[in-house]
Formats: sequence, structure tokens, C-alpha cells
Amino acid sequence: MAARTGGRFDLGRAATADAAAAVLPVRHVAGVRTIDYAPARLNPQPSRSYYFWMMAPAIVVLAAISLYPFFWLVWMSLHNVEVGAGPDTFVGFANFERLFTRDRKFWNGWSLLLQYSAMCLSLQIVLGVLLAVILNGSRYEKILVTVILMPMMMAPVIAGLVWYYLYNSTFGWYHWLLQSAGILGETSIVGSTSTAMLGLVIVDVWQWTPLITLITLAGMKRVPRDQLEANMVDGAGELRNFFAIVLPNLYPFLLIAILLRFMDNFRFIDVALTLTGGGPADATNILPVYLFDVSFQYFKLGRGAAIALTLLLVTILLGMLLVRLFEGPQSRRADMGSEG
Amino acid sequence: MASVRIANVWKYYGKTVAVKDLNIDCPDGQFLSVLGPSGCGKSSTLRMLAGLEHISAGDIYFGERRVNDLPPKARDIAMVFENYALYPHKTVFENIANPLRLRGTDGATIERKVRAAAKMLEIEHLLDRKPVELSGGQKQRTAIGRAIVREPQLFLFDEPIAHLDAKLRAHMRGELKLMQRRLGTTMIYVTHDQLEAMSMADRIAVMHEGVLQQFGTPQEIYNQPVNEWVAGFVGEPPMNFLDVEVVDEDGRLCLVHPGFRVAVTAAQQALLRQRLSGREARMGIRPDEVRIATATFPGALEARVRVSEPLGGDMLVDAELAGSRLLVKTRPDFTGGMGAPCWVAFDVERWHLFEKPSGVAYF
Amino acid sequence: MASRDVVAYRSPLTTALHVAAGLFVAVYLAWTILPIFIMFVSSFKDLLEAFKLPAVGDWGGVLVFFDFTPTAKHYFNLFGQLNFATYFRNSLAAALGSAVVSVVLGSMCAYALSRIDFRGKKDLFFWIISTRMAPVVAVMVPLYAIFRNLELVGTLPGLILAYTTFNLPFAIWILKGFFDNVPYAIEEAQMCDGATRLQAFRSILPLVAPGIGAFLVLCVLFAWNDFLFASIIGSGGAKTLPVATRELVQPQNIQWGSIMAAGVVTTLPMMLLGLLIRRYLVTGLTMGAVRE
Repeated sequence: MAARTGGRFDLGRAATADAAAAVLPVRHVAGVRTIDYAPARLNPQPSRSYYFWMMAPAIVVLAAISLYPFFWLVWMSLHNVEVGAGPDTFVGFANFERLFTRDRKFWNGWSLLLQYSAMCLSLQIVLGVLLAVILNGSRYEKILVTVILMPMMMAPVIAGLVWYYLYNSTFGWYHWLLQSAGILGETSIVGSTSTAMLGLVIVDVWQWTPLITLITLAGMKRVPRDQLEANMVDGAGELRNFFAIVLPNLYPFLLIAILLRFMDNFRFIDVALTLTGGGPADATNILPVYLFDVSFQYFKLGRGAAIALTLLLVTILLGMLLVRLFEGPQSRRADMGSEG
Repeated sequence: MASVRIANVWKYYGKTVAVKDLNIDCPDGQFLSVLGPSGCGKSSTLRMLAGLEHISAGDIYFGERRVNDLPPKARDIAMVFENYALYPHKTVFENIANPLRLRGTDGATIERKVRAAAKMLEIEHLLDRKPVELSGGQKQRTAIGRAIVREPQLFLFDEPIAHLDAKLRAHMRGELKLMQRRLGTTMIYVTHDQLEAMSMADRIAVMHEGVLQQFGTPQEIYNQPVNEWVAGFVGEPPMNFLDVEVVDEDGRLCLVHPGFRVAVTAAQQALLRQRLSGREARMGIRPDEVRIATATFPGALEARVRVSEPLGGDMLVDAELAGSRLLVKTRPDFTGGMGAPCWVAFDVERWHLFEKPSGVAYF
Repeated sequence: MASRDVVAYRSPLTTALHVAAGLFVAVYLAWTILPIFIMFVSSFKDLLEAFKLPAVGDWGGVLVFFDFTPTAKHYFNLFGQLNFATYFRNSLAAALGSAVVSVVLGSMCAYALSRIDFRGKKDLFFWIISTRMAPVVAVMVPLYAIFRNLELVGTLPGLILAYTTFNLPFAIWILKGFFDNVPYAIEEAQMCDGATRLQAFRSILPLVAPGIGAFLVLCVLFAWNDFLFASIIGSGGAKTLPVATRELVQPQNIQWGSIMAAGVVTTLPMMLLGLLIRRYLVTGLTMGAVRE
């Protein structure tokens, strides 16, 4: 090994100095041949610019397709932009004012979106967790889980079309089923204001309950076994074990599932557009559907932008919550690994 | 309080056999240690006692009661887990109170009992904390608190102090022993550390590869190991083993090795005459039962120092005796350096002889 | 050693619960599979047979469902007259294109993000993830305007770029988690052995390759199943399967047979892909928050 003296390699004793001398400046200090010790050049730690260039392409593309549209959106929300209605005029916050004070459909859209999400999520959580508890550790777990997750692979718009067919009041099998069971009359489930929302919820539950099951199953595999067993020794039966140990360990997972599904309800309106298009009589006109209509049916782009910004704002707030949770279950597990 | 009887118990995991035909009787109030290396079936045994594993064959009795089909909650036991298994979302108080809560004990009694247990374990000041805020030793005390608060008829300990540092471990050994004597509850304590077993238990069950090797007091296990495996597993530093031949010299039996030819004692000869099955055998002797010196003495055998390790109070000499390795524990003033000649002698009263290849002890 | 599962003891209650659980699973399975099954069978039915339904309350009449002569004419119709071969190619090109672009750019970015720390990294990271979460309808209008200015509307490159808006942040976010799990020491050892930085980066790629492959597939799946982008940005020259299928719904004449056949054509490949990456599905669908 090279003997290091005062930040220099002493070449007189350095065994590896020849290699170093090839790249490093050689000097003579007090008659001893030395080289300057340059850690930055010997150390293989790459410089930051290298990483910067690796990051740059993705960041540039992302900025172009997200930041730029965002500022455009802000600009539009402050203007009266309407396709085929003359030049855009600056209107200040008029678009927002109209939304918050006069637009009943806007508030109705939010309220319906919340109702819709609440119904979907409560059903999905109950069914999904129940399914996960039953399937967990079962002999057929693998094959059954594979089967139940099939609906998730289907394009939402196709799912919408299939269910449109199933709900049809003259030839739909599910309509026949519901009618025969005495639940429905002649009108299709999506044809009546009182049941249309339920019709959408059923499709969402059908398609996305498996996600809750998958998340719950992943969570259940992480429930520390020795806690379960300690609780059993302490005197708990299976049911108490579930509520005292399993469920608290599942909360963070369920919270993530809820947030993800909630945000997807902002994103995906394919089913609603296909099945009801917001009707009948606005009974399923959830906010994103309303936004779609304002922008692409009435072409009131300025108002649309204002609605879009409110949606974005809520998404970002939820996203912050979610990101905080991301650091949750996985890393918390790591902490607990040592103490069980 | 209850005695524990394990009768012809087997445990299979699929096709793997974890416990083979185990029989153990533990009288009421005793401290029984199950000792063995990892994978010897000791944890499986404990888990079957707790009701955390089904028993593949055989029976387990607590007192007169057969417990095979009882779930853990009906067995009236308490268990301390290797990783403590504390509930991270509950405070220390609630952790300790958990078994009482699950039995519907009233609040005042819980308060009193938890405080008493915490006082005994010196963790009263920690009752409001969560497990993540505790050190290893404090977690372990909490786990013990949870076990003793209910006054069960049987304690099960699964390597409870394996994860503590060496100093704390030594301290806890004394405390656990004291606690068991004070409570008088039957305790079954699983460990891979022979020091823990030797220092705490009334009885030790040594297990290896699912089979009970020896069951006896610590002294019996140490002084009269039933086979070569037990002899090698118990004791630190481990026993020396040398291949020898048993030779009859004019009616006197001798152990012959390239480096020595030593006659056995009269008592040993009597045992050998009954059971000796072949010429080949294994001689075993503990490192502290070999005398070593730098100068010759009567009856000494010449050996060579390979390396010596001063341990402070003792000196451990790794010697070579005619091609065989011999560990010797001696006084720290031994001066033989590396490669120097030395002289050794065995305490023939204390040596052991094992049958080859079965390893069963002759004496 | 211990059994795979936590021990369970039999009692009349647990037996009853087991039976109830079995029933529940059976009913759930039926409810999951039926829509897919009906779609599949109906795609082989002639129009009149597809509309046959027993009288209300006539439970015995369910067997009418199976009373048909299978015909593949809807599939011939799709690929013969309705140009679905082109739409299939469009779907495939757009999905695969955006997946490859996203994963290549994404893995480079994720790698860098995983290896250095700088001020504002958290904010940058949040911005990346929020672009993925942003509701499509919200950003559609300005995006459309931009794409129109660049003459990308109705073209495959346009659609690929559009899909990149959600696939790229997804890839970055997910793959960073993967690179975080690769110890930096491996690259350090490589570089000490004389590898360049790029070689060191390449040397750890095999370690993350299965993950990268799986998320590439997942990106394909997300893009393939999209409807909104395809219907607005891709309309015209880059029509994809979901859009084409949706267009079969016309006010006067809904071609149910063809719709069901198109549904099968669109869904089947994705179900197979889903099976292929089954192990990574949870991680992917929860943005890496939950791992199996």
C-alpha cells in the first residue's frame, strides 16, 4: 500500500504509485519524488453532472407535456375562451366566480363524485377485505386470485360497453336477473334517476374490488406472525385476533387503496360516458363528466379550465397525502423487522 | 401450577420430521430447559406446548389434562417470544394488560396487576411508552411482564434473551432464575446457549435432529454425557476428541493413541468389560481436565504448542499431540510459545470413552 | 421451523364459517366471470340469438343462453369490413411505443434520482408523481391545443407522446424504488475494477431487468386500455381499439355482436399480459406503495 504523507503519496515507498503517477502530476519535495493526492480523481464517485444528464431527457419531456399545459390551463381559466365565439377576452376570476356562486351543476358534480366514490369504496373495501381474508393462505389462493383479477385488465370503455349490454332492458341478462328477482321494473338500471348511480357503482365494484383484495392480501402477508401468536397465547380467538392484530396492520394499506381508487375516479370517466353520459337528468353527472361536457360538448374552454383547476388542486392535495403514505407500510415494516 | 408430560410426540412439516418420538416429564414447579442447536426441534416442541402447532402424533398433558386439541387460549399458558412480539400500536401498559383484557378482567384489577408486574421488572416508568421507544432489554421485560401478569400454570420461553447484548444477557439470566424461583411456576425455556441452560435450569433436555439425546440435571449433562454429541455440544471450550484403540494388555485395558498408551481406571475397566463392542473408540476429555507444563513431569506425554490464547483469567493452549489437536485450558502463567515443546497429562478419572461409530458413551 | 400458516383449531363455528366463506367465494367468482363469459359467448352469436331472453321470472329459461349456433362472422366483419386490423396495429404501436420511450427515459431518470441527493429533490419527485395523477379530462384541452399546433393530432407519434404523459412519471416513480434496492456498493465495486460509469450502470441493469420488463408490460396495458386520449388526440389517423369499439355504438344501429367481438379482441391480449406480470401487478397498480 502507498504510504500517505500529508495528502501526498510518497513514491519512494508506494507500491501502486506507478499507476497513479501515470495520471497524476509528479513533483519533487525536499528531494523525494511525490505526486499530488487528488481524491476527486482517484475516487470513482461519478460527478453530479453525469446524473443530471441522465435525468434531463425525461424531465424535459415531462415538463413539455405537463408544465406547459398547466400554465395554459391557468391562462384559459382567466379568459373567456369559447370555440367559434370570437377572440379570447380577459375576464379575471369571472369563470371561478360563476362556478362557485351560480353553477349548480358544478357543486352537484362534486357532491355526486363524493357519493359515487363513497359507495364504490365502501362496497369494494368490504368485499375486497372479506375476499382477501378468506383467500389468504387457502390452498387455491393463487389460482383464485388470478381469476378474480381478470376484470382489472379490461379497458374501462369496453367494460362500460359490456355492462351497457348486460343492463339493456330488452335483452340484457343482468336486467333480466334483477327484474326476475323483483328488484327492477321495466326501466334499465341506468335509465332511472334513482338507480343510475348504482348502475355505475356496480361496474366499478366489479372491475376494481380485486385491487383491494390484492392490496389487502399483500398487507396480510406482512402481519407479523409472532404478534398473532402472542395474542393467541394471551387468550384471543381467531375473530379477536383479526380485529386486534390483523386490521390495525392493514389500515395503512387500506388507506392507500382508498386514495388510489378515489383519485382514479377523477381520472377515469370512460364507464360513465359509455353507460349514462351523465344522465338521466344529471343523476350521474359527476364532476369529471361535467367537465368533459363543458369542454367538449359546449366548447366553453375557459370555464372548463376553471373546473379543471379545481379538480387538479384537489388531486394534488390528495397526492401529497398519498406520497406521505407511500413512505408508510413498506418502510415501517423495515423498522419493525428487528423488534417484530 | 401444573406438571407437563410429553408422551411419544412427533411433529412433521410435510415430509420433514422435526420432532421424533419425544418423551419428557417435567414435575410441577421446575425450571426445564430444552437445549439444542437451531433446527433440532426444540422450538417446534415449545410451539406444540403452546398450541401454536398441531401435534402430529402423541400426547401432551398439563397435569392430568390432555391438551392436544385445546387452542392456546384454553391452555392457561404464557409465552415469551424470541422477538418479544410486542404489539407496536399499544403502550407498554396495554401490552402487559392484553391477556387480562382478553379475559375480561375488571379495570381496577388490571391496573393493580400491571403495576405490580412492572414494579417487579423495574419498568414502571415506561408504562406510557410505545414499543418502538424501548431498548432491547426493556422490550424483553415488557414481554415478560405480559407473561407473568396473568399468573399462568406454565411459562414458555422461546430464546427470550438471545437478542440482547452479552452483558445484559448475563444479568437477565440471574433475574429470570430468581423470578422463576419466586413465582414457583413451571417454566419451559428453549435455548441454543448451553450457558443459559446450565446456569438456570433444574433439568435440561438436550435435543439434536428432532431426537431427545439426554434428559437430566445440568451436572449430569456436563459430567456424564450419554453420547459424543452431547459431550461435544455442552461445555465451553468444547471437549477434545481423540481416536483411540482399546487394547487388552495382560488383563489391563489401555487406550492407545500414536501419542500415548494409558490404562483406564478399575471402575472404567469394569464398565468396559461388560459393554465393549470393538477395538476402535473415541476418547473425550474437557480442556480443563488436561494438565499442561513446559517441563516434563511424571506420566507426561510430549506434545507441541501450536498457538496459545491468553483469555485474562485463563490461558487456552492449542496443542498438537502426535498429529491430534488438543485444546487445554490452563493458568495464565503458562509460558510455552508457538512451536515450543510441552508436556500434557490427562485426568483419567474424568475422561470419557465413546463407542465408534454410534458415539454412545461407555463411561 | 414452523408451519406455513398460523395454527387453527376446528370448532362447529369455524366449520360453519368455512362453508359460508366457500359460498361467498363461489358467488363472487360467478359475478366476476359472468360479464366476461357473456361477452365471449355473445361474440359468437348471431344477432337474433344474442337478443333471446327468457320471460321475466322464468328461471328455468336460463338455458336459452346456450341455445345458439356459433358463428365467427362478427370477427370476420371486424377484420374484413371494419378495418380492425389497422386499429389493432395502431393500438399496439401506440402502447408499445409509449411504453418503450417511458421505460428507457424513465429508467435513466429513476437511476439518477436514486443515486444522488439534491435540494428540492422531494419537490421534483412530487411534481413527477402528480403529473401521473392529474385527471386526464383536466389537462386534455391545453394538451389538444399544443398537439394541434405541432400537427400531432391524429398521428401515432402524437398518441405515443400523449400516453407518455402518464407512463413516463409512472416508470420513473416505480423504477426508482427498484434502483433504491440495488446497493450502490455493486457499482462502486465495478468502478474499482475499472468500469466506466456507463458500464457500471449497465452492470446493475440485469438486477432490475425483471422489474423493468414487468413495468414495460404494465405501461403497454395502461396505454392500450386508454380511451380519452385516444378519442381526442388520436382521433382520425390513429384510431385505437377502444375508440373503434366505442364507435360501433351508433344512435340507430348498435352492432352488439361486433362490439362483443371487439371487446374480446381488445381484452384477451391484456388478460394474458396481466397473467404474465401477475407478481408485479400490485406494485404497479399501487405506484409501488405496496409490494407482494
